[in-house]
Amino acid sequence: MKQETYAYAGLKERIKAEYRIFLAAFIFILIADSIGQIKIPLGPGTLILFPIFYSLLLGILSGPQTAKFFKQKEVQAASKLVIVCICPFIAKLGINAGANIEAVLSAGPALLMQELGNLGTIFLALPVALLLGLKREAIGATHSINRETNLALMQDMFGPDSAEARGSLSIYIIGGMVGTIYFGFMATLVAACGFFHPYALGMASGVGAGILMASASASLAAIYPDMADTITALASTSETLSGITGIYAAIFLAVPICTKLYNMLEPKLGPVSDKLFKKEKK
Amino acid sequence: MRYIEWAFLFIIAGLGIALANFVGFEVGFMESLPGILILLAISMVSVFISKLVPLKLPIVAYCSILGLLLSCPFCPAREFVIASANKINFTAPLTMVGAFAGISISGQLKEFAKQGWKMILIACLVMTGTFLGSAIISQIMLSFTHAI
Repeated sequence: MKQETYAYAGLKERIKAEYRIFLAAFIFILIADSIGQIKIPLGPGTLILFPIFYSLLLGILSGPQTAKFFKQKEVQAASKLVIVCICPFIAKLGINAGANIEAVLSAGPALLMQELGNLGTIFLALPVALLLGLKREAIGATHSINRETNLALMQDMFGPDSAEARGSLSIYIIGGMVGTIYFGFMATLVAACGFFHPYALGMASGVGAGILMASASASLAAIYPDMADTITALASTSETLSGITGIYAAIFLAVPICTKLYNMLEPKLGPVSDKLFKKEKK
Repeated sequence: MRYIEWAFLFIIAGLGIALANFVGFEVGFMESLPGILILLAISMVSVFISKLVPLKLPIVAYCSILGLLLSCPFCPAREFVIASANKINFTAPLTMVGAFAGISISGQLKEFAKQGWKMILIACLVMTGTFLGSAIISQIMLSFTHAI
């Protein structure tokens, strides 16, 4: 078995290096949860602000490029802490799924099939990306929701300096900055259009990114309080499935489909994009 | 990470949940405690499993499955597990996740600012497409299997 390499010599060293992060997190919780949930009707949807948004924002602002409270070393340490902190949350969702096991089981076939729906990004985002003039970056950018695993996969498949990996990294960064707030709001917009049963939306929330799932399912739970338990149960089951299948879906389905569609569409949309954006420059 | 580091960090996470649950939802520390202990125990066992099992599954996959098993109808402790976990509000564990996530991406702010509107638009479409694709299939399958 591969020997694990440790970041610190021991627990004491970890505490010494990270105590400022822990303290800041508690202060952020005090501030964020005192503000609490705010609902803002926005067009047909509802922008629901949760404490997680405020703490996320406070975290971003305290970093080395703005308030400079944290140094680069602490920034790197924090990403490991995210994984630790999300464990109890996912455990809670697992319990929620077990408590609503009848609903989860009766949705079983739908839960399995909808994992394929995560490929929907390719058909919606790839053509637009080509129209906007992206080349091979578009494959990395649009093949999946681009969280950590996908980012690593793109670097592995195409090389760390490849256009594909660059595209993936861009979406990863933007997703981290605005994804949490956008994903929740978008879910309420889709809900407002009325085509979908709340259970279907709950399942759709699980896309293989814990924080996005949390944002969408919390927003849906807030607009359908009567069905909140079942929605979050379905969301977490779907999220677990995505977490397990995600990387295989990317290797065997998303990347091949995305590449094929790219080769088909790029010769047609590439020239259109050239014309569009040359006009704009003049 | 060593087990002791995991254990320590889980306790920090547990305190974060307790604080958020108290400040945001006025649930006292003692009232939150059983639920938090259950969540932390599941998390810790998941870490053990992920280190022992050679499968490359994310730790959270084990957390979710263990949680589900503990609250299944055939688990004798089901009622207690569900009642305790219900004391922890859905969004309470998330505030700390947000804090750490925010700090961990704070170094990317300049990179983010450089992305330009095209990439931001594409990112939004990526998220929308991933969500919509699943919603459409779910809706069809749920109606087809008469689950709704």
